[in-house]
Amino acid sequence: MSNHLEKLPTLGVGASLSLSSEPDPVSLVRAKGGPSFVEYSGLVDVDEVIDEVEKIRAAGAPVLFHPSYINFCGSYPNSNAWLEATSKHIESVGSSWFAQDVAYCFWEEGPGYSTQLGYFIPVIFNQHSLELAVERVKEVQAKVAVPVAIEPPPVAFIIGSMPLFSFFGSLANQTDCAILLDMGHLVSYEMASGRSVLEAIDDLPVERVIEVHIAGGRLKEGHKEGNKDGEAGPIYVDAHECEIVEQTWQMLEAMLPRLPNVKAVCYECEGVNESGVLATLKRIRKVVREKSNCEALVMTLDKEE
Amino acid sequence: MSFQEQERALFDLLFDSIVRENFCKDSTAALHQYELNEDEQNDFNTIRPDALELDAKIRADLLLSHFCRSFPVSFSVLSSVDGGLDVLKSLVDVLTMRTASIERATLFGRRIGESLNGLSFNSADEQTKVSAILEVELGMVWTSATLKREVLDNGQLHIKSTQLDQSWSSKNIKLAPYVCAAMIPESYEKLKQSFCPDAECDLWRSLNKKPLAASRRKKILEKDDPRLFIARAHVSHMSQCEPTIDQKTAELSEGFASLFQHVNGTVSVDYILEQLKQIGAQDQMLQSIKATFKQLLESDMLEQV
Repeated sequence: MSNHLEKLPTLGVGASLSLSSEPDPVSLVRAKGGPSFVEYSGLVDVDEVIDEVEKIRAAGAPVLFHPSYINFCGSYPNSNAWLEATSKHIESVGSSWFAQDVAYCFWEEGPGYSTQLGYFIPVIFNQHSLELAVERVKEVQAKVAVPVAIEPPPVAFIIGSMPLFSFFGSLANQTDCAILLDMGHLVSYEMASGRSVLEAIDDLPVERVIEVHIAGGRLKEGHKEGNKDGEAGPIYVDAHECEIVEQTWQMLEAMLPRLPNVKAVCYECEGVNESGVLATLKRIRKVVREKSNCEALVMTLDKEE
Repeated sequence: MSFQEQERALFDLLFDSIVRENFCKDSTAALHQYELNEDEQNDFNTIRPDALELDAKIRADLLLSHFCRSFPVSFSVLSSVDGGLDVLKSLVDVLTMRTASIERATLFGRRIGESLNGLSFNSADEQTKVSAILEVELGMVWTSATLKREVLDNGQLHIKSTQLDQSWSSKNIKLAPYVCAAMIPESYEKLKQSFCPDAECDLWRSLNKKPLAASRRKKILEKDDPRLFIARAHVSHMSQCEPTIDQKTAELSEGFASLFQHVNGTVSVDYILEQLKQIGAQDQMLQSIKATFKQLLESDMLEQV
């Protein structure tokens, strides 16, 4: 693992929350069995969120910033103003690293949040796209002092034949960046591509995976009509307010033993009530204790429980 | 250039229903319009058509939820008209989505306006009222976008607040920048309360589940208490990335609308009052009109030339 990744603190099992909506991050942090850190997807300008963030930090939890406005792929470069604001944001809140999905957040003219496209537009999995992704990640790294973690996005469908872990493994190695793996996103890829990610794990520099996400989702029934080979398996839809689907739990159990340097496991639970969050955090901790191959991560559980 | 062509095709597949339908029927034929070599074209063979359709539908839904926040009353009214929701859905297309994000909602609103003639209302009067409501919502969207563009292009604005001296009423006046004014059939707040009682929730989602009843629309619009609605866009949070624009609003009685026609920089308040006096207006009324103009100047809705 790169030296700059080794030095990162181990944050334990935390939660990703919206700052201004339920469940209340401060109340959760103070609750027994609550998150040991809080990740939030917020506005680019830190002064818009700093008061809320300070309350979380005062309650004893470090924070991680998870933007949703950076193009880590594609032809459209990020704006300097937005990257400078990101750098300031991260420094002000003390985010040890920051991660974001490798996908399109904005298109052509004008940077902005991924909501302006509905949500992320998926990355194209081919060599040219990989080269541009390297360019985009380096562009961000040049402006932001903390390590960048790239995250495979949720996908309903796939464009391009390069396997997921070949693309992300190569991108991480070429840019010397960290990786965040969202278990639901991996399930979505398996369903969209018909490929097993576990079978391709050797293509992924697993030592670079510093963060794991788990979140709710929905499985929509597929239709055979029009599909090549008559496939009609389910389609995964990322939906944080929903229950975590069984396939996602299975992915977590299968992945954790293969990831030696995980610093943080995050339950993305925007829209879930507090008791539901606490119950799920308990289950996640149990899985981490039983399955994780990362001693430092497991040691944090003793303090949290 | 062909990776850019792949990106163009990806974008069209998500936002152009005709390209998408053609692709689902015959992907090779649908991609002929793009300059793709065989490998690049083959990258699209991995797309599951049912998943593409689902992605596009979810994406359009999220975008409509976003637009609905800018046009809450118009959306609610249209949900009560036969085919109204379909019109709104059809406007999330490649024309709207290729427009720069700042101007996108303005274009969307204009296109709603163009679609009104194709919808069936109870009477011409009802349609006129609906157009007036849309005009007000569109006006606010447009001034917000214009101000945001101005801030992003030129940085901090230095709009001087009006300091009125003793001779203020003798100076010619006009509408201030970023102000829109229009007649509406009733107070905008009351219209919002009547048409969007669930405004706290996701209005688009609730209108989809339960569109407004046509009888309710008729009942609300039968009330006749016209107001001159005035709104001024202002920067509530300055940012080089994403300035927040809010609207300061005022509503005046119907009679004021005719006076407003003269507020074009060529006449003063004294001149207007003099004209009113000549046609027999009482002193009390003239004092009230003068006080209202003063308030509008002090709140920067109007400015001195």
